[in-house]
Amino acid sequence: MLKDYAIAVIALLVCVALLAVLWPSAPESPEEREALAEGRVVITYWDRHSGHEHESRRELIDEFNRSQDKVYVRALSIGYNSLMEKLLTSIAGGVPPDICALDGTILAQLAAQGCFLPLDEFMGSDPYLSQDAFFPYIWDAVSQGGHVYGVPTTTDTYCLLWNKDAFRRAGLDPDRPPRSIEELESFAAQLTVQDESGIQQIGFLPWIPWDHSYKLGVIFGGTWYDPETDRMVCAEDPNILRSMQWQQSFAIDPDSDANPRHALDPQKFMSFQRNFGAYMSATNPFYTGKVAMIIEGEWQCTFIPKYAPDLNWGVAPFPAPEGVEPVAYSPTCIADCIPVGCRNEEAAFAFLRWFHRPRPDGRPSPSSDYNFAIHNIPCRPSEATQARFTDDPTFRVFVDVLMERPVATTPVTPVSQFMGDEIERYREKVVLRELTPEQALREVQDTVNAELRRTRAFLERTRP
Amino acid sequence: MASNRNRSWPGLILLVALSGLFISPFVWMLSTSLKHESRIFSRPGEPPQWIPTTEKMDAEGRRLVTYQGQTGADLGRADTGRHALLVDGQEIQAWPEEFEIQQQLGLHWQNYVSAFEMMDFMVNLRNTLFICFSAVLGTVLSCSLVAYSFARIPWKGRNAVFVLCLATMMLPYQVTLIPLFALYSKLGWVGSFKPLIAPYLFGTPFYIFLLRQFFMGIPQDLSAAARIDGCSEFGIFARIVMPLSKAALATTALFMFLFQWGDFLNPLIYLQDSRQYTLAIALQQFQSQNESAWGPLMAMSTAITVPIIALFFLTQRTFIQGIALTGLKG
Amino acid sequence: MTRAERRNLRNGLLFASPYLVGFTAFMLYPLAASIYFSFCEYNVIHAPIRIGLANFRVLFFDDARFWRALYNTCFYTAFSVPLGLGVSIGLAMLLHRKVRGLAVFRTVFFLPSIVPIVASSVLWLWVLNPDSGLLNGMLRQMLGIDGPGWLADTSWSKPSLILMSAWGVGGAMVIFLAGLADVPQVLYEVAEIDGAGPWGKFRNVTLPMLTPTILFNLVMGLITSFQYFTQAYVMTGGKGGPDDSTLFYCLYLYRNSFMYLRMGYASAMAWLLFAVILAATLVVLVSSKRWVYYHGE
Repeated sequence: MLKDYAIAVIALLVCVALLAVLWPSAPESPEEREALAEGRVVITYWDRHSGHEHESRRELIDEFNRSQDKVYVRALSIGYNSLMEKLLTSIAGGVPPDICALDGTILAQLAAQGCFLPLDEFMGSDPYLSQDAFFPYIWDAVSQGGHVYGVPTTTDTYCLLWNKDAFRRAGLDPDRPPRSIEELESFAAQLTVQDESGIQQIGFLPWIPWDHSYKLGVIFGGTWYDPETDRMVCAEDPNILRSMQWQQSFAIDPDSDANPRHALDPQKFMSFQRNFGAYMSATNPFYTGKVAMIIEGEWQCTFIPKYAPDLNWGVAPFPAPEGVEPVAYSPTCIADCIPVGCRNEEAAFAFLRWFHRPRPDGRPSPSSDYNFAIHNIPCRPSEATQARFTDDPTFRVFVDVLMERPVATTPVTPVSQFMGDEIERYREKVVLRELTPEQALREVQDTVNAELRRTRAFLERTRP
Repeated sequence: MASNRNRSWPGLILLVALSGLFISPFVWMLSTSLKHESRIFSRPGEPPQWIPTTEKMDAEGRRLVTYQGQTGADLGRADTGRHALLVDGQEIQAWPEEFEIQQQLGLHWQNYVSAFEMMDFMVNLRNTLFICFSAVLGTVLSCSLVAYSFARIPWKGRNAVFVLCLATMMLPYQVTLIPLFALYSKLGWVGSFKPLIAPYLFGTPFYIFLLRQFFMGIPQDLSAAARIDGCSEFGIFARIVMPLSKAALATTALFMFLFQWGDFLNPLIYLQDSRQYTLAIALQQFQSQNESAWGPLMAMSTAITVPIIALFFLTQRTFIQGIALTGLKG
Repeated sequence: MTRAERRNLRNGLLFASPYLVGFTAFMLYPLAASIYFSFCEYNVIHAPIRIGLANFRVLFFDDARFWRALYNTCFYTAFSVPLGLGVSIGLAMLLHRKVRGLAVFRTVFFLPSIVPIVASSVLWLWVLNPDSGLLNGMLRQMLGIDGPGWLADTSWSKPSLILMSAWGVGGAMVIFLAGLADVPQVLYEVAEIDGAGPWGKFRNVTLPMLTPTILFNLVMGLITSFQYFTQAYVMTGGKGGPDDSTLFYCLYLYRNSFMYLRMGYASAMAWLLFAVILAATLVVLVSSKRWVYYHGE
C-alpha cells in the first residue's frame, strides 16, 4: 500500500516538474521588457478592430513608443466578436485596460451605465481635444449629462453606391444615380432580374447589407427618440411611419393587387440573401453584382479596390424624400475611452495627447494618419478637409455630405443595443406583414421606453 | 467483430456513401483554402466549385479570356467601363459579360502564406500545446480518481454529490463568467494561463461522468478478489481499474485535448497579451468583423485542423480498443 | 455506521476530494453569486440592487420572447437528442467491424466535430440554400419536389439546425465505439448458440451492454442541447432570425447579459433553465435504474 502511494507521489512530482519546465516565460516582448527595465509606465490599449485596421493602429503606437521614454503602450486587438464579454468582465473584475477603442453606440450605452471616466478636464485643457475641434455631432455622441467620455478618432457616413455595369445592362445611364426616392424605386424595379429559379439580381433592398431602419427614418425627416423627454417618439412621428411604410413597400403584399413594381416576394429575397458571401470579401453581394444599389459607408473606398478591383461603381448622396431637408447620417464614431478602474490615467492621457495632436515637426496628427490609412473620416473638420482626403473624388462625396448637410446620429442612451435590436426585429415583422408599420412602431416605442425607464430608475438608485 | 465479417458488404457501401456526407466540410475547407478570393463563392444558381482553379495568364501577366470563341488577352478596363482585349493582334473593346475569363486547375498557395504571416504561428502553437497538455494531464488524473469514487465506492451521500457534479454543467456560462473572472482577478491570475488550467486539475464533470460509466462496467469480482488479497482501495484503482480502462482514459484525454485546442472564449477573456494567444484566438481574430478573407481563413482553419486529424487517426485504435474481458467471466 | 461503511465514506471522500476542493474553490462562489444576481438588478458595473422576485415575475408574465426562446429550445432538444443518439449508435455499429481502412472511416465520421465551426457553418449555409443549395437541388432532381426555404423560412429554420446537429455526432460516436469494444465477445457466442439472428444479437446483447454509454450520451445531449448556442449564433448572425424562430434560450440570455447589460435578468433566466435541465436529467437518472445495465454489478 505504501509503495502504491509512493509511486503515485513520485509520478505527480515528475508531472509537476515537467509542467514547471514547460511553463511559458513572461509574455512581454523584448521591447516591452526593455521599457520595463527603463522604468517606463506600461499601459494597455484594447482595439476593437482587427486585421489591417488594427495593424495601422499598431504602427502608430510603435511610433509613440519610440518617440519618448516615459510610457510604453501595449496594444491588443480583441476584435468585435467577444468584445462585450472581455470588456465587461475586465471592468467588473477590476483589471480593465487603460484605454479602449469602442464604437460610439456601445460607448454611449456603457458610459451611461457608468463604465468610463469623464475626460472633461483633460480634453478641455487642449485645443486639439476641446469641443470646438470636433464635428458637433461627434462631440454630442461622446458626451452625456454634461461630461465627455471619449476621444473620437474616426467617423463614418453612409451614401448610395451603385454598380455602373448593372445600370448599363438594365438600359439606365450608368453615370446617373437616382436623385429622388421615386427614381430609386423605379431604378430598383428595372435593375431586378428574376427567372423561374428565383431572383438573380436585386436592384435595391433597404435592409442590405444590414438593417438601415434607423437611418432611413432619419433620412425621411423623422425623429425616433426625443432627448428632451428621454423617450422614444417613433410611433407618433409621421415621417418615421412613412419610412417604415416605404421599407414595407419592397415586400409583396399577397392580399393586394396593386403591389408597386419594385416589390419582391419575401420568401424569394430571403432565399436570395442567403446566397450572399462574407461582407468584407470579394463575395460581398455588391461586389459580385448581386445587388445593384446599396447603402454603404466611406470605408468602401478601401474595400472595393482591395476586394473587387474590377467593380465599376459610383457613389452619390442618398436621395431625400420630397419636401424633406436632406440630412447626412453618421453612426457616430470610434472613440478612445478610459474605463473606470484604470491604473495609469496620466500615462493614458500622455498617449492620447500625442495621438491626437499634430506631430512636433508639423506633420498631421497620428489620428489623421490613422484615418487616412484605413479610409475613415477624421472627426475634426480641419482634418477631414485635408487634401489627402478630398483629392479622392469618391471619398470626397462622403466628406462633402458630412460637411454640407445637417448630421443625424444614433441617440445617446443607456439602452442603445436594445433599441437597435428591437427596431430591427419589428422591421422584420413589418416586412413579413405580421404587423402593420403602425403596430410595429407602437411596439418599438413601448418596449424601448419601458426598458429606458427601468434602466434610468436603476442608474438613479446606483448613484452614491 | 468477427460475427459481422460475412455481412460486411452492404455495410461497407453504406459507409462509403455516408462518408461522402461527413467529409464534405473538410474537403470544402481544403479546397477553399487553395482558391483565389474571387473564385470562392459561386454565381447564383451554380453549385460551389470543389476543385480550385486560377486564372490563366499569358507571358506578360495578362489574363487570358475567351471572346467569341477566340482566345485573347485582357489589357484592362477603360474609362468607359469596357475592357480592352487583344484578340488576334487586334484591340477590341468589350463589356465584362461578353467574354469569359479562362480558368485552369491551379492551387492558390498564397492563402497559406498570408495566413501564416498574419499570425505568430509558432508562439500560438506553443501556448496552445502547453495549455492542452497541462489540462489533459490534470483532467485524466483527477477525473479518474473522482469517477472511481462515484462508480466503485458505495459511500453515503455519493449520489447527491454526483448529481451536484452533473448540475454544475447545467448553468449557462454567461452568468458565471463575471463572478468567476472576479475570483481569478482577486487571485491575481488574470493575464496568465492559470485560469485556463487550474480548474481542470480538480476534475471536470463531463469526464468524471464519462469515466464513471466505464468504471461501472468493470466486474466487481475483480475488486473483491484484490481486496481479499489485501490490496488497498488505491491499489485496486491503480492496478486493476486504471489498466482496464485505457480506452476510456484515452477518450478522455482526446476530448480534453480537442476542447482546449478549439476553445477561444476562455483564452480570449483571461489572456491579456497577444504573445499569449492560442491558435483558436488567432483564428477567431481572422473571422472577427474585419478582414474575413475567406481564403486565408480557410487556410488557417486547415492548418489548425490537420494536426488533430492526424492525432485522431494515429491514436483512434487506442480508445476504441475493448478492455478485453473475454474469458474473465463465464 | 459499520466499520466498512466508515472506511468507504473515508475512501469515497478521499477519492472525490479533488472535485470537492475544486468545487469549493472555483464553482461555489460563481454559483452563489449568480443566484444572488438573479434576485437583483445588476448591470455588471455597479453593485447589484436587490429587487426580490421581480426578474422572475417579468420573465413569467411580461416577456413573450422568453417563452418563445424556451419553446424553440425545447423543440430543438426534443428532436435533436433522440436523432443524435440514433445516428451515433448507427454509425458506431457500422464502424465496429473489421473492414479495410477502418481508421480512415472513423476519422472521416469524426471530422465534422473537429472542423472549426466557421468552416462548417459556411458549408451548411450553402447546403441549406433554398435556391442553389445541395439539399434542395437533390430534392428537385430525385423527388421532383420544391424544397422549403430552410434557414430562411420561419417554420423550417429549427428543423434545419436539428438536421445539422445530427451531422456533428462524432464525439458521441467515439464514446459508443468505446462502449461497443467493451461488450464481451462471449456474450455474442452464447446468443449465437441460442439461435439469435443479427437483430436478436443487437436487441439482446449489444443494446443492453451499451446502456451505460447511452445514459451518458443522453444526459450530456440534454445538457448541451438545452444550452444550444454557438451554432445558432454563427448560422443566424446572433440575432435568432427569421422572426425569432431560431431565438434559442441561451442566445436570448446572451443578448440580455452582455448586450443589454441585464445581468440580473440573465441570471434569473439561467437558473430557470438550470431547473428545467435538472428536472429532465433527474427523470432520466431515476428511470435509468430500470433500463441501464451495468455489466460489472
